[in-house]
Amino acid sequence: MRQRRLRCVVSFHTTAGAMAAERLCRKEGLEGKLISVPRSVTSDCGLAWSAPPELRESLEALLGSAGVETAGFHELLV
Amino acid sequence: MKENTWFRRYGLIVLTGVVVGVAALLLTASGNPKNMGFCIACFERDIAGALGFHSAGKVQYLRPEIVGIVLGAAVSAFAFREFKARAGSCPASRFVLGLFVMIGALAFLGCPLRMVIRLGGGDLTAVAGLLGFLAGILVGVVFLKKGFTLGRAYPVKLGEGLALPAVMVGLLALLLLAPGLLKFSEEGPGSMRAFWAVSLAAGLAVGFLAQRSRLCMAGGLRDAFLIRDFTLLAGFLAIWITITIGNLLQGNYNLSLLSQPVAHSQHLWSFLGMALAGWGSILLGGCPLRQLILAGEGNGDAAVTVLGMVVGAAVAHNFGLAGNPDSAADGVYTVGGIGTAGMVAVVIGFAVLLAVSLLHLPGKEEV
Repeated sequence: MRQRRLRCVVSFHTTAGAMAAERLCRKEGLEGKLISVPRSVTSDCGLAWSAPPELRESLEALLGSAGVETAGFHELLV
Repeated sequence: MKENTWFRRYGLIVLTGVVVGVAALLLTASGNPKNMGFCIACFERDIAGALGFHSAGKVQYLRPEIVGIVLGAAVSAFAFREFKARAGSCPASRFVLGLFVMIGALAFLGCPLRMVIRLGGGDLTAVAGLLGFLAGILVGVVFLKKGFTLGRAYPVKLGEGLALPAVMVGLLALLLLAPGLLKFSEEGPGSMRAFWAVSLAAGLAVGFLAQRSRLCMAGGLRDAFLIRDFTLLAGFLAIWITITIGNLLQGNYNLSLLSQPVAHSQHLWSFLGMALAGWGSILLGGCPLRQLILAGEGNGDAAVTVLGMVVGAAVAHNFGLAGNPDSAADGVYTVGGIGTAGMVAVVIGFAVLLAVSLLHLPGKEEV
């Protein structure tokens, strides 16, 4: 039995976008991990970045300044 | 909040895998070739033959399963508001990748889905294909980690997204209303077929559920390697287990390296063929089945990929690149496989995939 937690899930148009986000967040020390995109977010079988919800603004700023195009930010129990 | 999330996470994908497995067993029992209840590559090859794109007389039939998968996915996508007409992600590269994925799959004699179905029938020659598929996916994952991308798709007019579903409706109309325009095999795998309505219904069910669950043979292994997520892989395993149990119950399980239906013992080229298919599938973002599902959801790039695969099938048979199954006659067992032309084509395929991979890596100025 695993605990479901509220997370900020960032979806991307491409797998490369998700992996770029991972690299940036690792570099900046922002907590999070790559996950398989939840079915409720998109029908793509790609990847998403899952982070604590309180990091949303930091993520938006980081990814925006680095030019990583996102498909959306979602607050979900995952 | 604590709750059992297993069912939420794995329920639908496992259900889909079981339905795919049962559908494949049903189709085989109803007339499809053994260990070929479903095969996206073989069935697209049969469609290419039915339309006269190649003249291999043993593999010509307009398979309603393919029509059903695309339309089932479209119905599901519309019903759940997930139909999104979009396109523009390197369609030409996708066409070429689809073509070589097909050549690789036909060298092995099956797509990743048929590979699992063959394994479920005890076909040990498919193990080489599985190992090759894994190797190809790992190569693809390396390029993903280096930043490979074909770029994003953009919203387009509804008509663009409906293109492949409309083509499928047209093909079904041809089969039912004007079969005289099509070619039908009188012997070989193309002559073995379930009643069209059974095939169509099985395809619709698989297409619908695969759209809901995001089932993808390549995606399952990619996620397992890349992020240690086994959700999609559970579908892959559910198909394998269902087919194995079904074949055991029906007395059709034949654990052997020899005399397997529509399979050959040229293990190195089975490995390399599926490595080509696996690598190509990762670059495309999904296996051949997934391309049909995405096309059904309105993805024009996936539709182009499917068309590339159909052309790849025609090329494979017109130029003698596809594998031939092992055969036994008068007590003599003859090993099949691919000829020199097929080997050259697979090697060219690796060169093309390497070129596509390298040409779509980010520049130094990009992230």
